[in-house]
Amino acid sequence: MNYLFEHLLGMIVCDENGNSKEKYECHSLEDYYKKNEIEKKIRHTFKDLQEPSIEIKKRILETLKHEKNAHAFVEYNRDLTKEAIKNAVTDEFLIIETINAIDDLSRVENMLTKRLRNWFALLNPEYEHVEADNEKLVERIHHKKTEKRKGSMGADLHVSDQEPIIELASEIEKIRHTKIKQEHYLEKVMNRFCPNVTAVAGGVIGARLLVHTRSLQRLAMMPASTVQLLGAEQALFRHLRTGAKSPRHGLILAHPLLVSAPQAMHGKIARALADKISIAAKIDFFKGTFIGDALRKALEEKFS
Amino acid sequence: MKAAPIFEVYEQQKGKRRYLYTKSIAPGYDVYGEKVFKEGSEEYREWDPSKSKLCAAILAGAANVFIRKNDWVLYLGSSTGTTVSHVSDMVGKKGLIFAVDSAPIVTRELVFLSEQRNNIAPILADAHHPESYEHRISQVDVLYQDVSQKDQVDIFLKNIQLFLKKGGYAILAVKARSIDVVKNPKEIYKKVYEQIEQQGLKIVDKRQLEPWQKDHLILFCKY
Ligand SMILES: C[S@@+](CC[C@H](N)C(=O)[O-])C[C@H]1O[C@@H](n2cnc3c(N)ncnc32)[C@H](O)[C@@H]1O
Repeated sequence: MNYLFEHLLGMIVCDENGNSKEKYECHSLEDYYKKNEIEKKIRHTFKDLQEPSIEIKKRILETLKHEKNAHAFVEYNRDLTKEAIKNAVTDEFLIIETINAIDDLSRVENMLTKRLRNWFALLNPEYEHVEADNEKLVERIHHKKTEKRKGSMGADLHVSDQEPIIELASEIEKIRHTKIKQEHYLEKVMNRFCPNVTAVAGGVIGARLLVHTRSLQRLAMMPASTVQLLGAEQALFRHLRTGAKSPRHGLILAHPLLVSAPQAMHGKIARALADKISIAAKIDFFKGTFIGDALRKALEEKFS
Repeated sequence: MKAAPIFEVYEQQKGKRRYLYTKSIAPGYDVYGEKVFKEGSEEYREWDPSKSKLCAAILAGAANVFIRKNDWVLYLGSSTGTTVSHVSDMVGKKGLIFAVDSAPIVTRELVFLSEQRNNIAPILADAHHPESYEHRISQVDVLYQDVSQKDQVDIFLKNIQLFLKKGGYAILAVKARSIDVVKNPKEIYKKVYEQIEQQGLKIVDKRQLEPWQKDHLILFCKY
């Protein structure tokens, strides 16, 4: 009986004791990529080729441990791994970076808006005091539409001292626009990558669930009860360890159905929502047909 | 600088603290922000026990880590290569490390590391499935595993069976939290010992990694 082991360093034909009878060495990765052709030739010569057992493989792997092979091992594996890393960039990676960028932009926007408020209040504290809406405040400062009241506590700043304040406002607006564009982009990629999850959970929550599980596959394989609690792990562990109150929902709490519902209904809605997200993820992962709208409608009819 | 009782590891006592080092095979570079310095014609890299469990195990009293110059090592869970880089120093230019990790982003760093150090063969693969990389490696003298997986002991045993030479050593970093978040680590460790010994491996040393790493254990086994 003969056995064939296809290895990066060569195609090895051996007997049942793992003793090599014939070796077709690979002198480069290109040789290895041609292994199907070589295999055909080998099968022509050796008609009875079998899959090697673990014992036989071990024997062959032992013979390959040789100083002369070290260089090839490093080179070939490095090249294969480079190629694999390149091919590993899926939509999931784009989605995760995008949602993280959106969160970063939000944080920066908030931080800079606080700074702008303090700075601008030196010039016109009355307006800063009454304007609660950040977006409006930024926009009006940027477009110089802030009237100063008579008897204002604000300093009479020279134009050249006002300019940097206005510039900061303009920068914050830009950040907000970038964020909005990236949110649209996120919806687009989410719709292309997991349309069912996106229809049920929404692009942002869907993306956050993916950040958490790091892959659609994992989200799809997870029981719905776990999906329900994604993002509430710390509370869950506390519950398991100390018997504290068990959490009822994690990331999905931000879903419009839950936001608008009375507290008493939260548990029930969270369970139903997680159920549907879980179904949606399975359909998306196995590339089934689109039923996201129907899933979402069923939820909305039941709970709103 | 003097040689530590452990092969290929160096040490220095500064006050009450003991510092470990490896002799760099890639002078002029640091890998993860560690201190690097020259003494005579040699360059040494400080080994940080809070970033490397193997280092913590030595400081916790391990008298031997069974990694020798010129060894071939299968390293499962190489991540960005913090510990791998020190093992790379230990086995030296004639040694070899097959460094396996399943996450593409961290493995990118490992590829860069392998370009600096010619004894590292980076492999993007899932250690659950040794058959997916059996055609890319050879038998090894030492197997080191640090993957945070629930079934880490199964992974360990499967890989030992296929790749470790008889009489070779296998080192396992056990993270109790990965196996079970609620159970007492002691109970978890007991189960791990049983499972390993059932497979005919002999546990020759075990080290708890406190205070450097919480609820972690390193096991040294002979095959
Ligand atoms: C704690 S880190 C290892 C740190 C590293 N040993 C060091 O000391 O520098 C665990 C690594 O295991 C990897 N990992 C987890 N599951 C794995 C699997 N099934 N196969 C291969 N690698 C895995 C993770 O991607 C992660 O990089």
